[in-house]
Formats: sequence, structure tokens, C-alpha cells
Amino acid sequence: MAQPISFRKALREWQLYFFLLPSALLVGTFAYFPAVSAVYHSFFDWQGGDTKRFIGLDNFQRAWGDSVLWQSFVTISILVVANILKLIPSIFAAVLIHRLISDRSQYWYRVLVVIPMIVPSLVTLFIWKFFFDANLGVLNKVLDATGLKSVLVWIDGLFGWDLFLEDIPIAWLSEPRLIIPALIIWGFPWIGSVGVLIYLAGLQSIGKEVYEAADLDGVSPFQKFLYIELPLIMNQVRLTLVLLIIGTLQGFGLQLLLLGESGGPGGRGMVPGLWMFNRAFVAGEFGYACAIGLILFAFILVLTLINNRYVKVDK
Amino acid sequence: MKAAPLPPGKKKGREWIKHLLILIVLGLELVPFYMMMQISFKDNTTFIQNPWLPSWIGDWQWGNWIFGARLILPYVANTVFVAVTGTVASLFVALMAAYFFARYRMPLHGFLWSAFLILMLMPSVANIVPLFSLLKSMNLLNTLWALIIVGVAGGQVFNIYVLRNFIEDIPRDLFEAAEMDGASHFQQLIHIVIPMSGPILGTLAILSFLNMWNDFLLPLIVLRDEELFTIGVGLIYLDGEYVKQWGRIMAAFFIASIPLIILFLFTMKLFVRSLSSGAIKG
Repeated sequence: MAQPISFRKALREWQLYFFLLPSALLVGTFAYFPAVSAVYHSFFDWQGGDTKRFIGLDNFQRAWGDSVLWQSFVTISILVVANILKLIPSIFAAVLIHRLISDRSQYWYRVLVVIPMIVPSLVTLFIWKFFFDANLGVLNKVLDATGLKSVLVWIDGLFGWDLFLEDIPIAWLSEPRLIIPALIIWGFPWIGSVGVLIYLAGLQSIGKEVYEAADLDGVSPFQKFLYIELPLIMNQVRLTLVLLIIGTLQGFGLQLLLLGESGGPGGRGMVPGLWMFNRAFVAGEFGYACAIGLILFAFILVLTLINNRYVKVDK
Repeated sequence: MKAAPLPPGKKKGREWIKHLLILIVLGLELVPFYMMMQISFKDNTTFIQNPWLPSWIGDWQWGNWIFGARLILPYVANTVFVAVTGTVASLFVALMAAYFFARYRMPLHGFLWSAFLILMLMPSVANIVPLFSLLKSMNLLNTLWALIIVGVAGGQVFNIYVLRNFIEDIPRDLFEAAEMDGASHFQQLIHIVIPMSGPILGTLAILSFLNMWNDFLLPLIVLRDEELFTIGVGLIYLDGEYVKQWGRIMAAFFIASIPLIILFLFTMKLFVRSLSSGAIKG
């Protein structure tokens, strides 16, 4: 803890406030000011220039009736659920690596896990965009080569979707109904470098004796996971879950890069953040964009508060 | 009661399965990078004939790499400038603020601390639109300084939070002895805090560098001139071209990754540790 200090001594140490000044100025200008400005401008008809017109709650009223915004919240909810499920491979990988006997191989696998992090995230995304390409794309080639394509065509025939046809390449990013699946498939097999490392750090506290004792009692590998490993990484899982939900809700970089400013064909990939971006920088409706931003902000804030209340994370 | 521990032979056998499973999963995870590497040496025709395997070394298209380097190296230079300046400034400013919070409970201490901490809870998504108009009115649009300053401001809360805890753990005697010798607070910061916080500064530096390196949203709305493009914006414009020479694009992607690969090779242990502790980030 910081040392208590008498008022008299504090007066003598007044220069210490200068230490805080640069940081406070930066945070004040680039974090507090924009936040206040967003609230203020959400009540205006504002094109981003000097002229603006006070319109009261009109922006929020418009948002209430904005079907694109509603649809974008549906889309983001689907993506949140999918992203939660996509945590499973990381947990699986971490447990497998942890169970190895040799510390040396544990270390080297950890290095391998980190490798995707050293390629700019944007590059990974663009490589996936290339994978999704209908004609040259790697994904369609893999589906053809493994025969999975015929399985898809067969399922399609069963339900009559007309999405997967025998002789036509699958248009992942240009068929509206395939956009959400593409946003989910992206990044297969969904190993999150940071996630795996965090879980491994949590698993580290399990000693080898625990496993030996479990072996003696004839505990199956799955029971070991359920009763030994999962409880120990529960905190980490919760933490990654919370960060992931908040990150997914505010993120729109993925959609912007894969599908463009209008959320791809039919706008099926539109998420709230992208709609805010689109209104501001495509349509020039800065005031309305601020209102959308605030709605999203309120939404995430409520989730954060609920989480802080009910989910306790020990450091 | 089940039987005694498994015989060693069987245990070995299970080890083998684990290795196989891990290698399959990690192998799949690394497929995009394998593809990037091998396609970067092919032209479109070779790629269509033989999409999977690397081409014969004699047929490698070095032209792709020359094209990629010409295109992307200026962007890499800009990004290195932004990320390095930003990281150093961010850590130094945060270190000063953390020192303020860690040494004494000055008047307004509690209020100021909560004012910083509350930013950790606030989602920043609503900020980007007003931030744009703020930068415009400050005449910072289309400059690299905008990226640096906003990056420094954005990293403050997390860095101060971690550094405060760290500075508080430094034995108080050290500071008191220095004060006896007439050292100012600034000298104490330079001669006591910085030398003692090497590892934690390294960790924070890597996290902060990665953040700035990967950012593309801010550069996309701030930068207009091609000479100022960072990797992010540069790649977005490259992606927008109509006729795509995939070999060239992949070579450009690869070159864009080289600085981080170098950083990684030299700081592998620190890198892995930084990312493991990145959990507190929120």
C-alpha cells in the first residue's frame, strides 16, 4: 500500500502531482472527453462539421425503429454464443499439453501455440478471406478433396436449402445465408494463443502426485478433467469468457475486413459496432452514430456490472 | 478396487496419443501460415496446378518477394516507428503516474485512483466517432502522431494498474535511503524504480507493442496519405485490388510479419510469459 502522509508533508511534496499530470492529461483528452462528447452529440443532428442542430431524443427514437440495428443485435448474439463454444478447443489443447510427462515438450508446444500471435492478426484474417474465396479458395478445395462437399450436398438435398450444389463452388462470402457460418468457421480449429497459455498457467498448480493418486484409483481421463482440471481453471475460464463476450460485442474489425463497410451481401454480417462505423464514416451521420455507440456502450456496461457482481475473479 | 498403476509400457503408449492429438490440432492451427509461406513463392498458374505442396526451389518466384518488399517495407517502417515510440512513451508516462500512486497517499489519492480505474470498466466502443472529430480539430488527422498519442492514452490504465502494484512492493528503505542522499523523486524513479522493474516493464512493453502493431481501425480512419500508411491500412488497400496475384500478396503478408518474428526469436521466454500474464488485461 502507498504510504500515508500528513497534510503538511504532502504540501511539501506538491511536485509529485506533476508525475500524474501527463497521464491525466492524456486520459482526460482521449478517454474522458470523447466519452462525454459522445453523450452530448447523441442529442444532435451532426454531420461531423461545425454545424449541428439539437434534436432531443430523435436519434434514439430512430434507433428504436431501426431494423438494421435490431438485426445486428441478433447477429452479434449468435456470434457471442458461437465464440463461447469456440473456447472449448483451447481448453482441450491446454489440458492435453499439461498432461504430457516431459516438461521439455510442454515448453515447445507452448512456443508453437504462441506462433500465430507473431503474425499480425490482420494477416491471419486476410489469409482466411483468401481461404473463403469461391474459386481459388483453400476451404472449397479441402471440402472437395475430402468428400465433405458431397456430404454437404446430401444434407442440402435433405432440407432443400439450395446452398450447396454439386458442381458449383460454395460462395462463402457472397451468399447471404453463408455469411454467419463463415464468420463462425473463421479461425478453425479456434486455438486462442492467450487462452491456452492462461489455462496452462492455471493448470500448473496441479502436482504430478495428484495424477498418480488418480491413476491408482482408476479414474478415467474424462473424470480427471471434470474433477481435477476443470475446477482449477474455472477462474481462468470465467475470465476469458467475460473478456470474450465484451470483446465480441464491441468488436467489428473482423466484419469490416471480411465483408466490408456494409456487412457483406444482404448486410447479413452487420453488427452494432459496424453499423455505428458505417453511419459515421459512410453516411456522415455522426450524431446518429454517437447514439448507436451509446446504446452499445450501455449494453456492455450493464453486462460488466453484472459480471463484477456475480463473477468473482481472483488475481 | 482397481489394480496398481499402469505398467510403464502402456503409459508410454498414451503419451504417444497425446503428442499426436496436440500435433494435429496445432498443425491445423498453423495451416494458414504454411499456405502463406509456400504460396509466396508461386505465381497464380503454379498455385492453381499445385495448391498444396511447396514448389521446387528452382522455380521459386523471387519477384513476388521483391514486389512485396517494395510495397510493404515503407509501411513496416511507419508501423515500427509508431509502435516503438508509442510503447516507450506509454511506459514512461505510466511509470510516473504509478509512482505517484504507489509512494504516498497524497490528498485526492482515492478520487484520482478511482477516476483512472473506472476507465477499465468503460467500454471504449462509443469513443471512436468523437475521437475522430477531436483529432480533426487538433489538426492531427493524417499524422502518425495521432496514432502514437491515442495509443499511449489507451494503454495508461492497464499499465498504471500493474506498475502501481509492482512499485508498492519495492522495499521502502530504498526510497528513504535515496531521499537521505538528497535524491529527487525523478531521480528515485530513474535510479530505483526502473532498474528494479526490468521484467515487468518487458512484459508490459511486449503487450503494448503487440496492441499498437495490430491496430488497424484507428489508422484506417486517421491516415490518408500513402507515405504514412501503417501495415494495417496498407494491407487493407492491397486487399482491395481487383486482379489478385496471390503470390505477391502472400509475400507482402510474410514481410509484414518479419519484425514480430525477430522480436519473438530474441524474447521467446518473455513473450510466452507476457501473454500468459496478459489475463489481467480488461
